Amino acid sequence: MHDVRYDAVHDEIVVPVPYAQAILTFRGGADGQEAPIRIIQGPKTGAIGSRLDVDPIHNEIFTYTGNTVTVYPREANGDVAPIRVIRGPDTQLKRPYGIAVDPINDILVIGLNSNFGSDEPITVEDTESLEKGAILIFNRTDSGNVKPRGVIRGPKSGIIRINQMQLYPQKKLIVGAMPGVIDSMEPDSAFLGVWSYDDNGDIPPKWKIPANDRTKLKKPFGVVLNPKNKEVIISDMRNQGVLVFSVPEVF
Amino acid sequence: MNKTLRLVLAGLLVWLAYGILMQAQADRKPVVIERAPLRFIKDPNPSFSAVAVDSESNMLVVSDENMFRIMEYDRRENTPPQARLSEPKRIISGTNTKAEMICGVYIDPKTKEIYALNGDTQNWMPVFSTDARGNVAPNRALNIPGHPFQLAADEDQQLLYMTIQSDNQISVYRKQASGGEKPVRTIRGNDTRLEDPHGLALDLKNRLIFVSNFGNGNVRGTGGRYGTFAPPSITIYPMEGSGNIKPVHIIQGPKTLMNWPAHMAFHQERQELFVANDADNSILVFHASDEGDVAPIRVVKGPKTGIKSPPGIALDSKLGELYVANMGTPSITVFPVTANGDVAPSRTIRGGPAGTVGLMIGNPGAVGYDTKREQILVPN
Repeated sequence: MHDVRYDAVHDEIVVPVPYAQAILTFRGGADGQEAPIRIIQGPKTGAIGSRLDVDPIHNEIFTYTGNTVTVYPREANGDVAPIRVIRGPDTQLKRPYGIAVDPINDILVIGLNSNFGSDEPITVEDTESLEKGAILIFNRTDSGNVKPRGVIRGPKSGIIRINQMQLYPQKKLIVGAMPGVIDSMEPDSAFLGVWSYDDNGDIPPKWKIPANDRTKLKKPFGVVLNPKNKEVIISDMRNQGVLVFSVPEVF
Repeated sequence: MNKTLRLVLAGLLVWLAYGILMQAQADRKPVVIERAPLRFIKDPNPSFSAVAVDSESNMLVVSDENMFRIMEYDRRENTPPQARLSEPKRIISGTNTKAEMICGVYIDPKTKEIYALNGDTQNWMPVFSTDARGNVAPNRALNIPGHPFQLAADEDQQLLYMTIQSDNQISVYRKQASGGEKPVRTIRGNDTRLEDPHGLALDLKNRLIFVSNFGNGNVRGTGGRYGTFAPPSITIYPMEGSGNIKPVHIIQGPKTLMNWPAHMAFHQERQELFVANDADNSILVFHASDEGDVAPIRVVKGPKTGIKSPPGIALDSKLGELYVANMGTPSITVFPVTANGDVAPSRTIRGGPAGTVGLMIGNPGAVGYDTKREQILVPN
């Protein structure tokens, strides 16, 4: 399970289960072997990606399958088809992995994985020649074969692949975990990056928390924001742990 | 100023402003935040996920998914109650090892090489010699995509059998395979009833494969893939089976008590199948011929057993001992193969203080925050 979202409006926890191609919704505070209150799964639903995000205002859940972004009704239960999809060559969607939605500014952001993780063995040296990941910025209601309104990609961006992302609508910020090269257990280049909705092109992040001995970060996979305490909370695979940073300058 | 000129000037100004903005973005110097974290949640103890035993050499090999270690203990080790922990005889760990989230281990009965199966984050099965220790490169490594979980060997045929979770597949490789070598055969498809396969054990006499399934189905339909939830099961196949074959029989249903059935081990002489029943804090024992919704013939469970979230299990058939790797507490617990009920282990090898509860954070791919309860949510 590679994502979890807390819906504060409805006090619910939403998770994807890619092995069972399902989206599960639990009540907030669920504990132990408690059953979900809703399950989206079935032939009409199709396949589900490893990550998702919830729009509690417009009542939608955003995920992806293959190179297609899929949108489901938040309150759906059972075998339901997506209500919208984004797919096609103009979208530049290729190996989507991170996903985040801002229901206030009507923004949808997709993080692309790099061209890694194929069935063939890949060495760290190979990765230099492979296509790197990116951040694609869409309008929340986009549908079909639509061009992104912004693409952050390139060596200055530092993006090799993007895992979990969060958006901060108040300042129109994209916060993304960039864990670096898959086959490198402790890549030098890993960081947590903060970009703006208006960024487009090969743009460095506005702020970054790099992986190093000082920050203790090694391979950031997940991120969530706690604006009340001006904190960024990061899950780190190589640490098998969670690190909490105070970053008032970002908020 | 005429209207056309005003429009041209306005356009020029917009173009200039856009150019300045783009240049400013491209020239941006990130503010690098280099400070220590306020808080750091991390388990200081090992999280034992797999175990293998070789009584001939007194080798007990365990994997630690928390600190990415392969550790060898003397199989006769028994941590004294007053001791903080038992020190392993050797540790293999580090960025050169190709070993990270190790969820399966195997000891070659002749060479005593250690086979280590990465279940996630790395697609490799590194193989280490008896003198390997520290941050060493493996003797060889096989690329295995798709998240394998447990391996077992047919030494006569020199073949390795393993479960592949994300493809709902059993893969069979040459035992000496390395690099990008492909499996010699696979069992896979809707008819197989493989549903998030985890454990795998071999009945070498009757030539059968036992596979434990969590129950997460992934159907390949005409309109594409979709998912199902099914009760956990054990599906059984012929060892020479290949392709989209039906199981010869299935153990499944509420009487079985299965709940995340993980690693399995088969006792040839007793014709018994041992199952590490992870989410039920128990070990289940079935007879080889069991079928359908059948109760286990023995259940090892309860506070005296010290069994807590056990994904790993190994049998020493020669000495009649059962080894259990616990992730919920940093210990390996050892029982006689005939153990039944709430019984104390005959030995316990601890990797941390007695009574320690494991955090069980494993490959935390994401994190959430419950603002109402001010709680951090960590999926694994």
